[in-house]
Amino acid sequence: MSTVDTRTAPRGRDRVARVVLYAILLTGLLVVVGPFLWMLLSSVKPEAEIRQATWLPRTWTLENYRDLFDRLDFPTFFVNSAIVALLVTAGNLAFCSLLGYALAKLAFPGRRAIFLLVLGTLMVPGMVTFVPQFVLVSNLGLTNTYAGLVLPFLAGPFGVFLMRQYLMSIPDDLIEAARVDGAGEWRIFLRIVLPLCRPALATLGILTFLASWNNFLWPLVVATTEDKYTLPVALALYSVGQNRIDFGLLLAGAVVVVVPALVVFLVLQRSFLRGIATTGLK
Amino acid sequence: MRRHRRYAAVLAIATVLVAGCGRDTDGGQDEARSVAAGKAKGEITVWAMGTEGEKLSDFAKAFTAENPDAKVTVTAVPWDAAHQKIASAIAAKQTPDVSMLGTTWMGEFAKTGALDPTPTDLIRKDDFFPGAWATGVVGGTAYAVPWYVETRLIFYRKDLAQAAGITSPPKTWEELTAMARALKEKAGAESGLYLQPGGTGSWQSFLPFAWSNGAELTKDNKFTLDSAQMSEALQYYGSFFKEKLSTTTDLGVQGSLEQSFVTGKTGAFISGPWHIGLLSEQGGAGFTEKFGVVRMPTRKSSTSFIGGSNLAVFKDGHNRDGAWKFIEWLSRPEVQVRWYRTVTSLPAVQKSWDDPSLAGDPFLSEFGEQLKSAKAPPPITTWEQVASAVDAEIERVAKAGADSAAATKAMQERASSIGTGT
Amino acid sequence: MSRRALTGWAFAAPFMTLFAVFLALPVLASLVMSLTDLRSTDLRNPLAVNFVGVDNFVRLLSDELFLRSMVNTLVFVVVGVPLTTVFGLAAANALNSGLIRLRGLFRVGFYLPVVTSIVAIAVVWRLVLDPQSGLVNSLLGVVGVTGPDWLGSTSTALPALVVIAAWRNFGFLMVIFLAGLQTIPAELYEAATIDGAGRWAQFRHVTLPALRPTLLFGAVVTGIGYLQFFEEPLVMTRGGPLSSTLSVSYHVYNQFGFGNYGYAAAASYVLFVAVVALSVLQFRLLGERD
Repeated sequence: MSTVDTRTAPRGRDRVARVVLYAILLTGLLVVVGPFLWMLLSSVKPEAEIRQATWLPRTWTLENYRDLFDRLDFPTFFVNSAIVALLVTAGNLAFCSLLGYALAKLAFPGRRAIFLLVLGTLMVPGMVTFVPQFVLVSNLGLTNTYAGLVLPFLAGPFGVFLMRQYLMSIPDDLIEAARVDGAGEWRIFLRIVLPLCRPALATLGILTFLASWNNFLWPLVVATTEDKYTLPVALALYSVGQNRIDFGLLLAGAVVVVVPALVVFLVLQRSFLRGIATTGLK
Repeated sequence: MRRHRRYAAVLAIATVLVAGCGRDTDGGQDEARSVAAGKAKGEITVWAMGTEGEKLSDFAKAFTAENPDAKVTVTAVPWDAAHQKIASAIAAKQTPDVSMLGTTWMGEFAKTGALDPTPTDLIRKDDFFPGAWATGVVGGTAYAVPWYVETRLIFYRKDLAQAAGITSPPKTWEELTAMARALKEKAGAESGLYLQPGGTGSWQSFLPFAWSNGAELTKDNKFTLDSAQMSEALQYYGSFFKEKLSTTTDLGVQGSLEQSFVTGKTGAFISGPWHIGLLSEQGGAGFTEKFGVVRMPTRKSSTSFIGGSNLAVFKDGHNRDGAWKFIEWLSRPEVQVRWYRTVTSLPAVQKSWDDPSLAGDPFLSEFGEQLKSAKAPPPITTWEQVASAVDAEIERVAKAGADSAAATKAMQERASSIGTGT
Repeated sequence: MSRRALTGWAFAAPFMTLFAVFLALPVLASLVMSLTDLRSTDLRNPLAVNFVGVDNFVRLLSDELFLRSMVNTLVFVVVGVPLTTVFGLAAANALNSGLIRLRGLFRVGFYLPVVTSIVAIAVVWRLVLDPQSGLVNSLLGVVGVTGPDWLGSTSTALPALVVIAAWRNFGFLMVIFLAGLQTIPAELYEAATIDGAGRWAQFRHVTLPALRPTLLFGAVVTGIGYLQFFEEPLVMTRGGPLSSTLSVSYHVYNQFGFGNYGYAAAASYVLFVAVVALSVLQFRLLGERD
């Protein structure tokens, strides 16, 4: 599976390095999974036990999950979330790789200006554009529609920046060679650039999917009836009250949201470590 | 139509770009219009938060049974960002017919001109707790109807207090301090009386002391936060921290208040009716026997904070008459009692409190008594911002031992520079 | 128009169309907003506000809380960005070194904080940092040091949040760096090995230069994120104690909450300028003249 591990070093030193590395990584792993583990364990505790903030449940219960699924129209919210996140991810992969490639490898007038404009927008805090964006979307008649949920996120500056930076680190030779062979620009993009970009596309896919999947405020405001709510919005409905927080529901909800995100992460991560061998970058 | 809207959007932004136009200084007084007689008709869209949003849809079936031509469509909105959602909806003129609103949002949302004045011939002021009704009155006009209420009392460990030699609940400031001291020194509590040491919302714990001491927040639309009564109340509040009768750790933000009360680390604290349920859930069997609630101790009066939620009708909605009829129905004493039994939020209509399920409950009857005189901050548009200045000064007194007179002076300065938003 | 220009624009067009409508337009509107005294009470009638020019910006300069939040945010960025980048780079490099099995496990593990609910994170970190019973102070106690009340003291709350943020975000950078590492041709390492370069020398002379664009991306994106840091103080400290963890974004969030839209927009654009300045600096440092 690994094709890049061609670095070789004297064997003895290797063994020491390996032991040290394992020790560090395992310690790191412990530190890192703690809260996640607590989240999992607490989601199967009764409310009172969660508040005591212990680790292992004294009473195991699926009550929180049952509560969650009983009170929420789960399939609807799940499907809404999936539709929105998949569309947003697909859009970003397509549009950002196109523009990212153009910015990194094609010389054309306006290139620098576009890059600065897009990068600048990435730096504007989201809070400040929220209301104007919503007024715009609602004036376009898109409140409570999938289009309203998806369109504003379909082309994100983050993805352009990521794709451009990644492509800049890829040598020009392959593209030039294809150009000399007389391949058209679209053909070069589809046949050479995209396969080369697999690691970056997988990364962008993971990050975009996750951001969209977890997005709370926008879907909450754009969806005006519950049948258009996404999962995070629905999960917030009953766990956070005016004066009290139901930790059991909150944590069970957090676990439920995280599972699809982790699946996407695992699938896409696997795909990119195989990427290089097949493209013949070596 | 679509085309039109698109142009409107571009036009709006373009206009903003070039416009230097000022706003009308006068908001234009609204006149409450009457509601046509007869049954409600058509679809009534309602936004409600949390449990209210979850249960209202089913609950409203009794209303549609009485009004067969009406349909109530409820959207449940998470509390978390409800304010943002409603503000955005007002901006885009995409409001429902009716929405539940937090009592402290009233000044702001009424001022936008989005709310329809309450038809007081249909819904009568005198039916409600006066403090609750007042939260919806902005510039002399009522814009909302109280739906449910809450107020703040002192929760204390009866068993520990008794063990510490306190036999009757505290009725004055001196007695409250004495109880806190006894709970700490004789019953081993770390905090004899836990008070929120500043931070978001601490004004809700502090103001009851100020009001009970005769302080007023505004007079003739000007702030009076630096009055002697205010400063004395803040000094009293601060004394619990100075004498280490309350921790300076915010137990609320940690979510550990209930557990520390159950284990006896905290002997008493100030909170609202939701804590009855929370404590009986978390304290386990028999814990309800171990604690009691008592009204705010009397200084010049015993005056607590009143909160809860209101119902308001939007001008940009499509079914004004139906909306008000639905609210009128929700305000009937018997419906309020049924609603209390459905979601356990306390009725805003005074008459409902005659019901044995409320009057006969030892905890709730205490709340009911306090509600009669409980107060809310004035419904000014800038309240949340002023409140955060108050919170900041409470924190300085609690954590940094700042002088209370200097702190109330700072509150007054900050509040005056923020203004009342009129 | 030349063929080259045409191709470039054709590739850019789909993105730029969506971008112009759904991002550029609202940004423009918000920029205008920052020059007005728009409040939430004007939302229904936003054209009737007063144009106040740079008044909002002038007022910000005398807003004590804003200045305080600027300092806090600056500290957060200056310490947090390098810390997170180093952790992320170290993790990516270790997992890519070929010395380690179970890489999939570690990758997922290090990524978990990114996807863990912030509420769970807050609870567990509070347990760990508890002044009496927390793990950190217990360990300090073993070596005879009395640990402080990490989140309750004005001098340690911000550093504690920096560490938590680095802990939470390095997995994100690791993912990005791992992708970047895939672009480095293996023969570069082979050549370096033949030249007798050790692991450290390989890292310095092969990995780092080749990773530069990705590194720049990671640092800029982290800088943008950290200049807008907000969630950690919101759930851990609510900006306290005594405003010692109040960030600019938190302040802006409060101002929006108070309904001061024009003022909050102005504060946002001050933040924007800071982000731009930091990014320019990073572009300079990491070698791209752009």
